[in-house]
Amino acid sequence: MTARLRGTDVSSKLVVSCTLITFIIFVLLPTFYLISYIFLRWDEVWYEVFANPIIGDENWKQIVRVLLFSFRLSLSTVAFDLIFGIPLAYVLARKKFPGKNLLEDLVTLPLVIPTSGFGFATLITWTTITGIGGFLGLKRGLISLNTMTPFINVPFILFIVHVALAFPYIVRTLETKIQSIDMTYEVASRTLGASSLTTFRKILFPLALPGIFSGAVLAFARSLGETGATMIVSGVSATASIAIVRWTSEFKLSTAAFMGSLLVLIAWVIILPAEIYVSRSRRTRHLSFSLPTNLAMGIIRLERFLSRKFFFLKDIIPLIIVTLTVVIPIAVVLNSVLLYWSSDPYTGKVEGGVIYQLFGPSNYFSSLLRATLTSTIVALVSTYIGTCLSIPLSFIIERRWYGRIIRTMLKVPMIIPTSSLGLSVMLLWGPSGLNLVNSGVWMIILTHIVFSVPVIVESIIAAYEGSGIQMYEDSARTLGANAYSAIETVSLPLIKGGVLTGAILSFTRSLGETGATFIVMGRDITVPVLVVNMVEALAIPAALFTSTYLIALSLLMLAIVRILTKR
Amino acid sequence: MSMVRLVNVTKRFRKIVALKQINLSIEDGEYVCVLGPTGAGKTTLLRIIAGLLEPDEGEVYIEGKKVNGVPPEKRNAVYMFQNFALFPHMNVWQNVSFGPVTKEWDREKVENVTSEILEMVRLGDRRDAYPYELSGGMQQRVALARGIAAGARILLLDEPFGALDARLRVNLRTQLRSLVKDQGLTAIHVTHDQEEALMVADRIIILREGRIEQTGSPQEIYTNPQSIFVMSFVGGANFIDGSVAKLDSSGSTIEIRGGLQIRVSDTSRRMGERVVVAIRREDVLLGKSRRRGFNNLIGEVADVMFVGGSLEYVVRLENGVSILSRIILASDSSPFSKGEIVIVSFHPDECRVFPYPRKGLLKEIEAI
Repeated sequence: MTARLRGTDVSSKLVVSCTLITFIIFVLLPTFYLISYIFLRWDEVWYEVFANPIIGDENWKQIVRVLLFSFRLSLSTVAFDLIFGIPLAYVLARKKFPGKNLLEDLVTLPLVIPTSGFGFATLITWTTITGIGGFLGLKRGLISLNTMTPFINVPFILFIVHVALAFPYIVRTLETKIQSIDMTYEVASRTLGASSLTTFRKILFPLALPGIFSGAVLAFARSLGETGATMIVSGVSATASIAIVRWTSEFKLSTAAFMGSLLVLIAWVIILPAEIYVSRSRRTRHLSFSLPTNLAMGIIRLERFLSRKFFFLKDIIPLIIVTLTVVIPIAVVLNSVLLYWSSDPYTGKVEGGVIYQLFGPSNYFSSLLRATLTSTIVALVSTYIGTCLSIPLSFIIERRWYGRIIRTMLKVPMIIPTSSLGLSVMLLWGPSGLNLVNSGVWMIILTHIVFSVPVIVESIIAAYEGSGIQMYEDSARTLGANAYSAIETVSLPLIKGGVLTGAILSFTRSLGETGATFIVMGRDITVPVLVVNMVEALAIPAALFTSTYLIALSLLMLAIVRILTKR
Repeated sequence: MSMVRLVNVTKRFRKIVALKQINLSIEDGEYVCVLGPTGAGKTTLLRIIAGLLEPDEGEVYIEGKKVNGVPPEKRNAVYMFQNFALFPHMNVWQNVSFGPVTKEWDREKVENVTSEILEMVRLGDRRDAYPYELSGGMQQRVALARGIAAGARILLLDEPFGALDARLRVNLRTQLRSLVKDQGLTAIHVTHDQEEALMVADRIIILREGRIEQTGSPQEIYTNPQSIFVMSFVGGANFIDGSVAKLDSSGSTIEIRGGLQIRVSDTSRRMGERVVVAIRREDVLLGKSRRRGFNNLIGEVADVMFVGGSLEYVVRLENGVSILSRIILASDSSPFSKGEIVIVSFHPDECRVFPYPRKGLLKEIEAI
């Protein structure tokens, strides 16, 4: 008997160590390699970034400029999204109303739509005559690429795109958090005489603070790392992640790597304190400070007044933002595809029509087919490998003492800009590193595995923690099942939903990824990259068609996720 | 031969000692309740017997065989969790046949055993139902059938009625006990509900802070509690703080607050020792006249509460001490009303005397 037990022990150790080794090689190593690259090749970096004989430290100055620009953009995006995301999250979490599911889907949409398609939709909505401009009767777009946002001094169109793309991170994270807070606290506060705003400030806000925090971190990371849409709408300005792509294609590898590792470090500096804060906040006391009584009374009176008179605004303004940033762009794209179907509606030329561009001499249709094939293979293979790794990894995270550490590590690929990740993968596996893989499909797959694992693991863990698996598994053990058959017959079926949801999210993510793919793809172009290429080649009708195609695909994915999570 | 035997079992979780030197033996076919407050180590004890936890020290024997290091699936001890933990993704048939199927019996045998057991628990017609479609009572029967089908000799019940409503709990308790007894199983049932334990157990083990405080039949535990903790946890009582003022062959006299004296039959205490006198609420009688041979104290009715079929009075004595009295409601007796002056009587034989606890009286009673 004891011999058999020891046998089980050995094989379980084998599974655990295989999983961990795979995890370290395929997920952790690429995320950290960039930093070691800087140290290993410090001479080269120093020469290129700080002490170039011709341009001096011009590259360093550029890095600083780009970083400052990126930070200004991302911080203002997060601030804006927080102001309007908090009320929306509250409404979604607490209220029941007709159309709630639809609103939830609309908010989630930018999360699943490949961002280059989405960026293109926003671009034509705001800057061309087929968009809002034409609708308002103007002879041009409502704004131009160079119209600046007041106060923050970044292009308006860039700001809108980032606001829309980061919005779901704040709303969905916070919505989940608020749902987990017992509503009786708010009811108690209201019955004790506090207005709804006072209740929010004194009860819900402090309790939801960890959620607000992690939502803001995710949104910030998203904005900092966004590439696909940003490439399309950025015009002459460059964000950090775009700069990495550009510099890599200009073979300024050391500059790109230096910038990339700066971004990785920044991501770490943000995530670690946030992780510690969020995980400890359950135990530690909340921050509190006291206002002078007069002032506090004044605030409460003001809040009571506002609650009575203007509280309806919290329902309306977020709705307007979602409509402006998500609904209208999608509607405009769909409408434009129809307008441009056979010919350019303004000049009447067939060369400007969708059909000509797809099947004419440029034959974008065959490029689209090829890109679809590449995208599908990449998404399927990386999701499959990611899932195979994620299932045992989730069990390790839940059951071993070091699980917490692994979970924190997994946050890193989620928040570092994907273009730095792509660069890191290329430097590690590619010809200049281990020289095992060349740019192309296989390297795209290696890159996509890195961010598909955290997505799937999070989803599995949510299912795991919500279903009391330990109890069922222990029951199965005492009923005569050994450790493996208990996992096989009881635990796996119970987390099936989580695995499937995670796999689909990872598939969608892989399908829409642009930043990292750009760097590692070589000649194997994926669909979202194709959109960027089309826009750069000014093949607008073809880009319209491809964006529509991407949007349709992601709507399908969203529908599948909905059906799966309903059950 | 005892079914389950624990010898010097100790279990620690980091610095917290969950079980200290537990020695215990459970006979074949016995229905034992492990009773104790939250955090007493009840669940740890059960998990160690099941093999879901290994003890840090000591040995566990099942049917005379040492089982330390033997995995749970080899122990024939089925663990039943709160609300039964029926597998939600399997129907009744799949749940019940889980044990036989995983043990890879041949198909015919699985069929026969499962349908026989399902008939026995009167669920033959619900074999395709899923757990969420069943009532609490049916779920319990499925869980039990599942355990029996898996060849269980021992049932380990961890607060089996945890989240069910009060009336259902009472019904299920008796049902569970009779099913277990019919099958000749040995049951170890963990609970923090003293009423439940008194009702179903052949024997009660009272666990407190990882130690066994007392074991005995329900009646023994109730009528002869060995400590203030047990007396207060099982049944509850009046506890009055005092010291021994007089000692003679027929008993002793305890002086309590305000110079009042209580006569008790107990003679085991020393002169002058600080003690606690404990009297069950139902042993405290109220009346208008003194009773011969009883302790008679004068007090005022401070409150009356209606508890089930009896009335519970709170009477404030002259010295300020409150005493509780529970009197069965009878149609011919007229209840006392608030503010009425009454004579509180209790017999010296009904008074138990305990040494004053080191950590204070409240500590012993409040732990519950």
